[in-house]
Amino acid sequence: MTPFIRSMFVVARRDFLAIVATPTFLLFLLAPLFMVGMGLAGGMGASQLADSARGAGRIVVVADAADVEALRSADARLRGAMGREPAALDIRIASPAAADPVTIAREKGSDTYAVMSGPLSAPRIVEREQGSSSGRYLALLAGDVQRARAAGPLPPVSPRFESLSNGGTSIAVQQSLGFGAVFIIFLLTLLLAGQTVSSLAEEKGNKVIEILAAAVPLESVFLGKLLGMLGVAMLFIAFWVILAMGGGMVAATQVDPAALAAAGKPAATLAATPATGWPFFLGIGFAYFILSFLLLGAAFLGVGAQAATVREIQMLSLPITIFQVGMFSLSAGAASAPGSSLARFAEVFPFSSPLAMAARAATDDAKAVHLLALGWQAIWVALVIWVSVRLFRSGVLSSGSGWKFWQRKRTIAAAAAAGEAVSSQLR
Amino acid sequence: MIGDRSLSDFSVEANGLTKYFGNFKAVDQVSLAVPAGSIYGVLGPNGAGKTTSLRMTLGIIDPDEGTSRLLGGQRPQSVRNRIGYLPEERGLYPGMKAREAIAFMGALRGLDWSEGRRRAAGFMTELGLERVIDEKIRKMSKGMAQMIQLIGSIVHAPDLIVLDEPFSGLDPVNQERLEMLVRRERDRGATILFSTHVMAHAERLCDRIAIIARSQRRFEGTVDDARALLPMQVRYTPRRADDPAAVAANLPAGADLRGDAWHFAIQDGDVEPLLARITASGHGVTGLSISRPALHDAFVHIVRQVDAGFDANPAIDAVEEASA
Repeated sequence: MTPFIRSMFVVARRDFLAIVATPTFLLFLLAPLFMVGMGLAGGMGASQLADSARGAGRIVVVADAADVEALRSADARLRGAMGREPAALDIRIASPAAADPVTIAREKGSDTYAVMSGPLSAPRIVEREQGSSSGRYLALLAGDVQRARAAGPLPPVSPRFESLSNGGTSIAVQQSLGFGAVFIIFLLTLLLAGQTVSSLAEEKGNKVIEILAAAVPLESVFLGKLLGMLGVAMLFIAFWVILAMGGGMVAATQVDPAALAAAGKPAATLAATPATGWPFFLGIGFAYFILSFLLLGAAFLGVGAQAATVREIQMLSLPITIFQVGMFSLSAGAASAPGSSLARFAEVFPFSSPLAMAARAATDDAKAVHLLALGWQAIWVALVIWVSVRLFRSGVLSSGSGWKFWQRKRTIAAAAAAGEAVSSQLR
Repeated sequence: MIGDRSLSDFSVEANGLTKYFGNFKAVDQVSLAVPAGSIYGVLGPNGAGKTTSLRMTLGIIDPDEGTSRLLGGQRPQSVRNRIGYLPEERGLYPGMKAREAIAFMGALRGLDWSEGRRRAAGFMTELGLERVIDEKIRKMSKGMAQMIQLIGSIVHAPDLIVLDEPFSGLDPVNQERLEMLVRRERDRGATILFSTHVMAHAERLCDRIAIIARSQRRFEGTVDDARALLPMQVRYTPRRADDPAAVAANLPAGADLRGDAWHFAIQDGDVEPLLARITASGHGVTGLSISRPALHDAFVHIVRQVDAGFDANPAIDAVEEASA
């Protein structure tokens, strides 16, 4: 083991233990429970709201008594074939005393999306919004009744349904898998890599940084800190994976296998396969999570190292989060348009590359390209750490040598002059 | 020789170190040559540039000009594991236990963790800190934590130990312990370079010193060389004081009569001629004291000269040449 790697592990070990061996780590570990709890509560609230909104809405037909039955039959036929189920149908018998459609549409107590009145051959439809699906549905209803009457009685259609159980995964499902990978890596990176922004604050606060800077290369301090945080992240993931697996096994013993087999949709979901296959997809997804963590973590560590106070670190959190969300949006766009120039850009841009490449593994069966991507991302990890260390040395440790632009310009000018001299000699 | 390694004559060779912070020249052409196996003090008033000089010497910060070579002409970064460093601003992880903190500092310098723990216990017992071996740093007094950090900086048995203001914040008992530790490390074969503005420690410990004031090195030599910058002070009380003019005629010009005693300064080589003149004059002697100035006096003298804008270099250069 080289002294560099050794010192890196010393720093990583210290950081890992300092984080893990505290009571607050338990809170950190259980943080997703709060998130899931909040999500469930919010989801249930939204669902209830949607249900109540759906229950309150209606479409109204003011029709002759002779048309009521035909309208109900047509509604029963068409309703199930609609992608989005229309609002409840309210049929009223037309009479001189009945309210006019505009009044019905404005009745309090429920949302009336559309009201149809008049003869079915030339109905009047009053809509809440112009060109609404409710209005079109009422027109369809009138047309269907008219057509049924014109055609007379027809023998019932007896369709035979067949499903493709082994027909391969559709591109849409693979794209969904890709998006899922992007989302999971983004979420884990957001939760875990952001922690590195305050990682050097402790050393700066208690002056240990000078001891570290004197004893080991700063690059190994930065890498060690990243490694320590990565260890914490691994522990976090392992904890939840084991918990999820345990929960899954317990659930499997409770569920009736016959009921599971009867559920067609879950079975189809389980059969969905990413283009590179599940083992490779999971493995490469994990590798991309590590690279994503290291890349963003290194950037945040470098930015956070420049902060002089806790307040500055807090101020830095917002742009960092926005940057992460930006990378997520870019990669999500790439996942929804595989092979596009946007996807190519997201795959090459270093900070979105791990996310976009994970999405690519779901839709493209090429595997060698992932080795290239991992190497590219690793180069950027090294580059970001190198720049962070230079900035830290020049800014925080007030050690400016080697990072002065004028010195670089002078070096470049000298190199250019030397090159000129050599080329003139060759001429 | 330290262990099985051979060193050059100097453990530290820093030449022309210069550092700017913005437009302020914090260190200006400071050179240090620390003989191997010696105790070397860098003295200077607050803000003189001692800490920055030490940091540049160790490669913690890069100089704008100048070079630093350690332990046989090597770059500071390449001999990190053979150096022990106690910075001026003390720093320890408050949540760490004392033994772990020492082992951690040793591990940073390449020492095995378990060996670091073992040595930590030994050092702490020796220094009377055995009761806090497994105590967390945050529960310790400042002085105790400072001793822990000092142990941490020498636990890996370095060849060069650099201590920046090691005595500040320590009580007299711990100062005594630290002095003992410094001497013992020197006897082991290590070179010790430390900065201080407390002259008593330098006077007791240092083989050689450098005085830095206003960003520049103003003196380099032994403690005696520094003291020799000032003349010796004489206090003479004649037995017969009835004729002050006659007494004064035998004393150097500028002799000042205060009460019944004459006060004047003489150079090193003038002691014997003075005694001969006093004896021959027949005025007798009831009191005579000849005292060398302390390092403190020399230090104050040099710093005041610098502060007054006096260029002390010619005299200092002469001393340096004499001491070289």
